[in-house]
Amino acid sequence: MRAQTITRKPRSRRRIALVTVALSLLLAMALPLTGYIAHDAGLAWAQSDDAEKEAVNSRSEYWRAVRQGTEGYSSVSGPEAGVLIQSGGEDWRNLRSGPLKFFGGSLLIAVLIAILVNHLVRGKDMIDSPTGRKINRWSGFDRALHWYVGITFIILSITGLSLLFGRALLIPLLGKEGFAAWAQLSKPVHDYLALPFIVGFALMLLIWIPRNFLRSHDFAWLKSVGGIVGKDHHPQAGYMNGGEKVFFWILFFGGIALMVSGFYLLFPNLGWERETMQLSHIVHSASGLFLIGISLGHIYLGSIGVEGVLEGMVRGEVDEGFAKQHHNLWYDEVKGVAPPQEGSAAPDVSGATPTT
Amino acid sequence: MKLIKKRDLTATETNSVASNILGSAVDRRTFLRRASLGLGGTAVAATLPTTMIQRAEATSAVGAEGDTEIRKSVCTHCSVGCGVVAEVQNGVWTGQEPDFDSPFNMGGHCAKGASVREHGHGERRLKYPMKLEGGKWTRVSWEQALDEIGDKVLDIRKRSGPDSVYWLGSAKFSNEQAYLFRKFAALWGTNNVDHQARICHSTTVAGVANTWGYGAMTNSYNDMHNCKAMFFIGSNAAEAHPVAMQHVLRGKENGAKMIVVDPRFTRTAAHADQFIRIRPGTDVPLIWGMLWHIFENGWEDKKYIGQRVYGMDEVRAEVAKWTPDVVENVSGVPGADVELAAKTMAENRPGTIVWCMGGTQHTIGNNNTRAYCALQLALGNIGVSGGGANIFRGHDNVQGATDLGILSHTLPGYYGLAEGSWKHWARVWDLDFDWVKDRFDTGYVDTSGDVEGGDAAVPFANPMNSAGIPVSRWVDGVLEDSRLIDQRDQLKAMFFWGHAPNSQTRGPEMKTALETLELVVVVDPYPTHTAVLPDRKEGMYLLPAATQFETYGSVTASNRSLQWRDKLIDPMFESLPDHTIMYKLSKKLEFSDQLFKAIKVKNDEPLVEDILREINRGMWTIGYTGQSPERLKLHMANKHTFNVTTLKAEGGPCDGDYYGLPWPSWGTPELKHPGTPVLYDTSKHVADGGLNFRARFGVERNGVNLLAEDSYSKGAEITDGYPEFTADMLKQLGWWDDLTAEEKQAAEGKNWKTDLSGGIQRVAIKHGCAPFGNAKARCVVWTFPDPVPVHREPLYTSRRDLVDKYPTYEDVKSHYRLPTRYGSIQAKDYSVEYPLIHTSGRLVEYEGGGEESRSNAWLAELQQEMFAEINPADANDANIRDGQWMWLEGPEGGRIKIRAMITPRVDRGVVFTPFHFGGWFEGKDLLDKYPEGAAPYVRGEAANTAFTYGYDSVTQMQETKASLCKIIAA
Amino acid sequence: MARMKFLCDAERCIECNGCVTACKNEHEVPWGVNRRRVVTLDDGVPGEKSISVACMHCTDAPCAAVCPVDCFYTTDDGIVLHDKDLCIGCGYCFYACPFGAPQFPQQEAFGVRGKMDKCTFCAGGPEEDNSAAELEKYGANRLAEGKLPLCAEMCSTKALLAGDGDEVADIYRDRITKRGGRPETWGWDTAYKKSDV
Repeated sequence: MRAQTITRKPRSRRRIALVTVALSLLLAMALPLTGYIAHDAGLAWAQSDDAEKEAVNSRSEYWRAVRQGTEGYSSVSGPEAGVLIQSGGEDWRNLRSGPLKFFGGSLLIAVLIAILVNHLVRGKDMIDSPTGRKINRWSGFDRALHWYVGITFIILSITGLSLLFGRALLIPLLGKEGFAAWAQLSKPVHDYLALPFIVGFALMLLIWIPRNFLRSHDFAWLKSVGGIVGKDHHPQAGYMNGGEKVFFWILFFGGIALMVSGFYLLFPNLGWERETMQLSHIVHSASGLFLIGISLGHIYLGSIGVEGVLEGMVRGEVDEGFAKQHHNLWYDEVKGVAPPQEGSAAPDVSGATPTT
Repeated sequence: MKLIKKRDLTATETNSVASNILGSAVDRRTFLRRASLGLGGTAVAATLPTTMIQRAEATSAVGAEGDTEIRKSVCTHCSVGCGVVAEVQNGVWTGQEPDFDSPFNMGGHCAKGASVREHGHGERRLKYPMKLEGGKWTRVSWEQALDEIGDKVLDIRKRSGPDSVYWLGSAKFSNEQAYLFRKFAALWGTNNVDHQARICHSTTVAGVANTWGYGAMTNSYNDMHNCKAMFFIGSNAAEAHPVAMQHVLRGKENGAKMIVVDPRFTRTAAHADQFIRIRPGTDVPLIWGMLWHIFENGWEDKKYIGQRVYGMDEVRAEVAKWTPDVVENVSGVPGADVELAAKTMAENRPGTIVWCMGGTQHTIGNNNTRAYCALQLALGNIGVSGGGANIFRGHDNVQGATDLGILSHTLPGYYGLAEGSWKHWARVWDLDFDWVKDRFDTGYVDTSGDVEGGDAAVPFANPMNSAGIPVSRWVDGVLEDSRLIDQRDQLKAMFFWGHAPNSQTRGPEMKTALETLELVVVVDPYPTHTAVLPDRKEGMYLLPAATQFETYGSVTASNRSLQWRDKLIDPMFESLPDHTIMYKLSKKLEFSDQLFKAIKVKNDEPLVEDILREINRGMWTIGYTGQSPERLKLHMANKHTFNVTTLKAEGGPCDGDYYGLPWPSWGTPELKHPGTPVLYDTSKHVADGGLNFRARFGVERNGVNLLAEDSYSKGAEITDGYPEFTADMLKQLGWWDDLTAEEKQAAEGKNWKTDLSGGIQRVAIKHGCAPFGNAKARCVVWTFPDPVPVHREPLYTSRRDLVDKYPTYEDVKSHYRLPTRYGSIQAKDYSVEYPLIHTSGRLVEYEGGGEESRSNAWLAELQQEMFAEINPADANDANIRDGQWMWLEGPEGGRIKIRAMITPRVDRGVVFTPFHFGGWFEGKDLLDKYPEGAAPYVRGEAANTAFTYGYDSVTQMQETKASLCKIIAA
Repeated sequence: MARMKFLCDAERCIECNGCVTACKNEHEVPWGVNRRRVVTLDDGVPGEKSISVACMHCTDAPCAAVCPVDCFYTTDDGIVLHDKDLCIGCGYCFYACPFGAPQFPQQEAFGVRGKMDKCTFCAGGPEEDNSAAELEKYGANRLAEGKLPLCAEMCSTKALLAGDGDEVADIYRDRITKRGGRPETWGWDTAYKKSDV
């Protein structure tokens, strides 16, 4: 059936898009409150039921029970063909269109604002006294792994975010057909890249665990938020500083949630019920959004936020000044001043400290 | 049911919509065809045969823009007679529309009816004549196949006589094909001809016809709108006759009380006001239990019984034994439930009774059906609108095929096999009686007296006048000692002409029988279970028959209405219509000249209209004489003019006629009898479809008058009972001169059944009388083993404690030519090893042996595996989980591997299996034995493999509703 | 403005699956995709009820709300249709739909589902009425021919009603009045009355 969408296509798509965006935002803000509304409505129903109980015939009771997702028989075979009404979909939809989009979106915006503010206020964290002498920080394998995971993560983030926010943000820009083309690319990319990502990500998390056990000085680092708060502008830090370790553990646990939920979403052929898929989707989106949010901070700090970090991950070596400034304990260790830290990358003192 | 409001359509707009449909449908259907070819990738489409593509190409070659034609047919899946409207374009069946005009279905269809267009795809059809050569199916030409088959059967005829060839016909034939098939067998010279009716409603036909005259549904589906009560026993209409439920539920919404009696909580039971669960095989106790209350409370219709019923006192005497506690003990139904049902039926009159296979398929099936009749007679419910015995038949034309006599015990029209009957039909066929007689073997008397001694000839009755072997027993006809069979030799060749053997019991023995036969010929649109069951290397042929959508002719619905089918599409692949195959084969067998003496044959296809006219000339007994092709076609063109409750045309060219001229439509077509919508309804004039009970059993018995008393149809000039009309009776009444000169000539010495001019019938009706007389219905059938119906335990019963009190019959030496066992089987106790009752029934998606419907992708998807319904308690006892594979084994050793469906639908101790599956045998999928590309999508174990011996004492109906089994986890 | 609606009268539905195969017939829906199905509740015990269910063409369709590519639209007749050219087969509509209406031709690893397919109320899709493209993607367009969905037209017991909501309601109300009960029917409120969010 040729619908009105056809006729209104050229004229008012932008207006609709704007309205859609406005509405989405409005809804996003209003939705967290719906829990209360639904709750109240439920109470109201229940009350009116009581009042009407005498008059209500048994049929309505019957159907009310069915509304709760009672499973019956169907000669049609298919996923949950015997379920007449599933209510999980409504909860899922409310969560997705409400809190998930709202808090997820807010988080991303908040991170971006925080980065912006930080950058404007504090500017780039420069190496106080660059020495020109380099010490090895990241092995080739570490770097390859990092960039492999990083790039796949970014691709997955962009394609994933497209599915969540594309309708509100990209359709106004690209038009429905344009966005659909993008989404049709995004979805298989997201799905097929998922396993390669999981392999790399899981490997990275596993082999980096030893470096990221939290130590007492890490708590001091965290207490001063890496020197932003308090007098000590350069709190002690080992191979990884407190912030990086926390980031790691967020990645670790968030990543597990992300990967496990993603696995469910990836294999609908294994016969998951809708409830599983709905739950997986929420966990996947929420963990994904959170990881994207903190990854934004990671990317900022690792690139234009702090001088020397990117160099370490690109070339594998950092300036001694950088090491002394941000990872003094590791620097000492590399220099043989302090006993080796557990789990630090094997210090190659001789190679790492070129004379002169 | 047009509910469109969006543009309130005016009359002119409606027309333009109609023309739009025709116009635009061209594109639409062209593309639909394309779409069906293009949508690849699925399990079904992956197997898309090249033939279909060829077909599509062939049609596009004719012209891409062919007009869409609307053609009308009748659904082939049950007896309701739902109209099918087909859109056909370039010879391809491209669309199916609801037939809103049909008063039977008003557009409605069940799963089967709504998917009949898939038969037009025909992907799993048997496409060419096939021959088994060295264990492989080889394609052969029609000529070669018929030549070889013909030579073989002529050889068998020479060696073993004509009775060694068995002609198993089909309820899927049109009336004309059914008639032709019976005539074919007659001219071949045997009564070994039968069809599905034997194993579906034969006990009904025998029981009911012997009670009040005709063995058919008395009222109609539509008449159920008028019921005040509806009593279903052994009928699951919601699955077996779904569209009938449209009328049933309408009756219920009009206020009728609905009672369902079944061992199973069926889909029909779900709609009932009262559900009564009985132990399978205890129908008589339940009915007598109800009558006990009726008699006890004086609820019977005393006036009605006095005027129109014979023998109710003898019933009363039997009923007196069935006190509530006895009934409860035997049937398992609590006394209060029985009383409530009796009260409901007594207080809500008229009420109807509906029964199906649950009542008929028993060793005492004829007792059951007569008990139902007695209940209705006691309540005065027969012969009134809203009452009656609404016996739902199973196949689309099982009523017609029964009427036209594809039965081993009668000629068309229930004329029987007496010499007079043969003479009547020889006259109709315009054949010399002696020529016909010479076609048969002659019975002879053994003079040696040495029955035991080797090859000594054994005496047997004259085969022309003795009932042939019934379909339920063909296995014994093959395997039984030839000296114990009441004919010259065993069966040597079988024609399965539209019949699948998975609908008959005793699978392992059947397999042996199929392997023993010298020749097996399957004539069917599908290979069927027959093609794969036996392990044979040769001597087997598959001949592709066209479906009813690929030919034309009339079909009789359960309510006795005839409908005319258009040919929708040409026969697909190399298939041929059944009547064409009959012609070709009769030519090979050298009696085509006699068979088609009065029937035109064009391009090897006999003219169907001519066959119907021949039927009209001979079928006086049941009034198949008024339904000329012209009248039927007129009805089909004016379906919309018929009232959907009364089935009477209101205005239009058929004004006053009842839809489809439900038989009896007395006299010649020129008499314009409107048909009889409700049998034995005395409130109407016979000329308007009124009747009274038939005078079939004499006028007097033991000094008691068998004719009606003070009861007669409206306007009858004889205001009392009267015997059937004969020429002499007309003379006595002084009505002889109402005949024309020609009629007098034809009628002289004849009676209403044998007067080919129809004059006797015309004159009787002119005077308001029923040609078949006016008598009482009888509750005592003194010619049957149990004159008054009694309860007898099934041969395989789990209630051994009841065997002494309700034993089965003694073994019978010869019944339908075969020794038949009863007591010798019941004597042994199987109930310890086989503790569960095994019963069977239908699924809504499939029909009969199911080959056709299991080859229909749209249906097959809905039921993909054979299963058994088991009560949770029994499943737990056997340690079987839902959906698990299990073995079900019958006491004769037949075992089937099926899925368990654990459900409270069945009671503890009862296992239910659907009987539509085939293509497996004892745990093995026989897929590789089908001709390539002709295996149905869904295959499974045949329930009947595990079913056991047991045959009705009157009709040889097989027992499939109460046997025993055990279940074991696989 | 007319609003097309489905209503299944549970007092009449007998689970004959006529609607299911009628749909297959009309749209040549492939094996494994069932735009309509019949569900029986309390199977085999007193109180058993059967219901035919497909897309209910909801007023505030949850599928439309969650579709990432916004491929759903509601016609002037209140029929919820979707554009298969836009559909990316993500399955969200299936998660969201209360009735399990969205169907997918495939269900494979890596989230491969193919384009979503569902009941169109026999009204096709966004392509031109009765065009080749519409037929291949969405099946027949009966509404454009002045007909109603075949499932309802072919319902064996007239349990499944389809058409203008007011007329459907009238028919149903008449039946209920005759039966002496209150009109309480399955799915109606869920699909048409609810206005949450």
